[in-house]
Amino acid sequence: MRPSIRARLAAAAATIGLILAGLSTSLAPVAAADPLILKAGTDQDLQVLNPWNSVVVADFEVFTLNYDLLVNFGQDLEPVPGFAESWEQDGLTWTFHIRPGMLWSDGEPATSADVVYTYQLILDAVDTEYGCLGQCYLDGYLLNAGVTSVTAPDPETVVIETEFENTLLLQNYVPILPEHIWSEHSLEEIGNHEGVEPFLNEAPVVGTGPYQAVEFEAGNFVRMAKNPNYWGEELAADEVIIQHFASTDTMAQALKTGELDYVRGVLADQFSDLADEPDIVTVEGVANGYTELSFNTGGNSEGYAGSTAALADVAFRDALGYAIDQEALVEATLGGYGEPGTTIIPPFHTRWHVEPDNPRTFDLAEADRRLTAAGYALNADGRRLDKSGAPITLRLTWPDSEEENATNAQFIVEWFDELGITVDAAVTEEGALIDAVTGPPNGPADYDIYMWGWVGDPDPTSLLNFFRSEEIGYSSDSFYSNPHYDELFLEQRAESDEATRKGILAEMQNLVYDEAPYHILYYDAELHAYRTDKFAGWTNQPSVGGTPLFGYGSYGYTQLTSVATEPTAEPSGAAPSAGATPAPSGSGSGTGAGDSTPLIIGAAALVAIIVVGLLVMRRRGPRTEEE
Amino acid sequence: MSGSYLARRFGSALFTIALIILINFVLFRALPGSPERVILRGTPNVTPAVLAAARERWGLNDPVFPDQFVAFVGATVSGDLGYSFIARGQTVSGVLAQRIWPTVILFGLGEFVAIVLGLALGAYSGWRRGGPIDVVGNGLSLILYSTPYFLLGMALLLVFATGLRWFPTFGMLTVGAVYPDIWARLADFGAHLVLPLATVGLGLVGQYAIVMRSSIVETLSEDYVTTARGMGLREGRILRHHALPNALLPTVSLVAINLGYVVAGAITVEIVFNWPGLGTLTVEALTARDYPVLQGVFLLLSVSVVLANLLADLIYGVLDPRVRT
Repeated sequence: MRPSIRARLAAAAATIGLILAGLSTSLAPVAAADPLILKAGTDQDLQVLNPWNSVVVADFEVFTLNYDLLVNFGQDLEPVPGFAESWEQDGLTWTFHIRPGMLWSDGEPATSADVVYTYQLILDAVDTEYGCLGQCYLDGYLLNAGVTSVTAPDPETVVIETEFENTLLLQNYVPILPEHIWSEHSLEEIGNHEGVEPFLNEAPVVGTGPYQAVEFEAGNFVRMAKNPNYWGEELAADEVIIQHFASTDTMAQALKTGELDYVRGVLADQFSDLADEPDIVTVEGVANGYTELSFNTGGNSEGYAGSTAALADVAFRDALGYAIDQEALVEATLGGYGEPGTTIIPPFHTRWHVEPDNPRTFDLAEADRRLTAAGYALNADGRRLDKSGAPITLRLTWPDSEEENATNAQFIVEWFDELGITVDAAVTEEGALIDAVTGPPNGPADYDIYMWGWVGDPDPTSLLNFFRSEEIGYSSDSFYSNPHYDELFLEQRAESDEATRKGILAEMQNLVYDEAPYHILYYDAELHAYRTDKFAGWTNQPSVGGTPLFGYGSYGYTQLTSVATEPTAEPSGAAPSAGATPAPSGSGSGTGAGDSTPLIIGAAALVAIIVVGLLVMRRRGPRTEEE
Repeated sequence: MSGSYLARRFGSALFTIALIILINFVLFRALPGSPERVILRGTPNVTPAVLAAARERWGLNDPVFPDQFVAFVGATVSGDLGYSFIARGQTVSGVLAQRIWPTVILFGLGEFVAIVLGLALGAYSGWRRGGPIDVVGNGLSLILYSTPYFLLGMALLLVFATGLRWFPTFGMLTVGAVYPDIWARLADFGAHLVLPLATVGLGLVGQYAIVMRSSIVETLSEDYVTTARGMGLREGRILRHHALPNALLPTVSLVAINLGYVVAGAITVEIVFNWPGLGTLTVEALTARDYPVLQGVFLLLSVSVVLANLLADLIYGVLDPRVRT
């Protein structure tokens, strides 16, 4: 009886083996009709398909593929035709001309009414008690541009009135949504407000952009198919897949095997490793943002909980700027990728970034001299005293979501200690930190110095906003306040002449650099890599310091071309490439061409192991009987 | 099995689950940072009015005990785990439902492979103690037992996926693949499954082998085995009919405890192979501070461990009359 059980198990195992073997033969034919799929890996979580609830870059990438912006971004972030084909400005009035005959991906006509509907959603939301829409990331694009009304005199014309003359409307990220689908849902449903059934904008999504989401799994991947009604030039990829990776190690390996064509957000050592691979090009882009050391410039005055009044003293903050070796931080924390930081508009904004007129260098002796000159003397124990005569001890923190700052902290503790300033460094849970660095009247402003980063928009305005006096209590975490800066902010926002605006921005950058509410530690790098054996036409956006994908809008995807598909012999069997080597199940899965063999071997090996394990006893049995 | 034994076991399982719900409630309310700031963090236009409205809507102005607690228990019992902070608009139960099956499949199969192989290896090496299979097998078991999943997984990935290109590096199915039939789909699934399954199987096999081996060694020195030998029974019969059934007893609890982790999985295996299960979900939720999802994951995992233990108790009761008192 027992042998018969084993025999049955063995038979079952053999059957599984046979089935697996049988399956493999059905793999090959699929490959022939394969669509050309662009597969991009990202370290960021894919969260939502509803643009109003989008927060991370990956989700912005997805919605700018689904939808057109009124005006899209070109290679150097210049305005190019999007939902609108052309436009003109006359003082406070903008006129946009919608492309005649444009269709949504479901075949409905796309008209000026859709623009009015979308923009009016924001204007309506701002008037509600909630004050904004969804996660409140997109409202600012219309508010900063001073939009007061949006009308459609005819299906191909949109007229937008603004409060003041400016060009920010051409740099805005608000996707134009199909009214015939979205208008069925209330403002609360669209904004995911509590108490209503939220509108998720589930796949298949209807848009005018080049690709529409047809399959979406939050936290995992999104699959997007070519828009049959796309108004632009012919697209190379039939489908685009954006896949989230919890481990960038695995992501980098998947690029090597050709299971991915593009990766965003690899680490420094993986980046160097990929650079040596054939058919892979690495791109070191500069981030549109920075990591900073922020001061509680309120010090210990009324409403602020800094540990010393010295924090409020420009001379004190300035002197400490000489005690930070940014190059060392780039080397140690970023593995050498990234740039030492200076002013608050990163070099990414080639048109607006300026280097400071009076740059600081790393020089501890100079820092010491400046501190002493400013009235911060050393006591007998070599500790630095503030003006009340108390030894200065600074609390330094950073959010637990940005662990790399722990490395920065080690250096800062050591450098400041050389100046006789004790630094207590400790990480803080992100939520608690946000509470602590909120200023009066909405928060305790309870910190001394801390490190975090900001990421900017195509226009630098958002990166300038949180140094305004009126942002204290909201987005300002340094509590910097300078009436002249506030004036300059409004001036630059309303300035249409590029040269004049650059002059204002230069003054603002120098002002903040000199008064040092922030010391910009470094401008982070964007480490991306892509394969060249399936797609060509990878175009950096912007051309200097940019990356081909995960930049601004759908531009990079529209530039891709397919690499010629004649089959080439690949002796090593390396790199299952494009159309050349048909891959099983259609999509360059790492098993590569005809790789069902290893699949069978693997499965068979597994089955064999189980069978052997089961039979061990039996083989032993008879032998012992002979003993 | 007596009624009181059953009642006691079920009672203690229920009590544990109630305790878990309470801990779940307290733990996530003890976290630093106020919820409305966490959920609206980084959003540029948040005004005090928005924050106040959010507090009101979420019932944060009600007293924690009893109002918030009663609402929490009521919702949890009715299966309403709230909405994800990160997959905005999706329910926690929806998010969990999407991720539970990949983990159950991977670890269910992994446990099965490990149990079969581990028990066979352990029984054999214990029976032939000191023999070549024992020396090699026991050494191997110790090495596998002490190797972290991610190390084993990464090694397998580098050799068989990146190096030999036999298997895909990540995922459960090839995204975007069009399958002509169910078999092609299964084959694709199988190819993706091999490496993570091998990692789980190899990672677990050592434990089973070691426990089974020492259990067999102990059993073989029992008087009844000596008696059986004295009666002139064949060695194979002694092993199969007398030693094995008794030696299996300790492994039952090990199996049961590990079954609890079929749902919990091993986070690192899922991370290495980007397997879309509860493990990757947990890490994503942790890094993004998606508290409702974390709360749901905790509840699911702890309840599954409790149920697995209950199962072990019941099976033990059947197998060993001595505990049934």
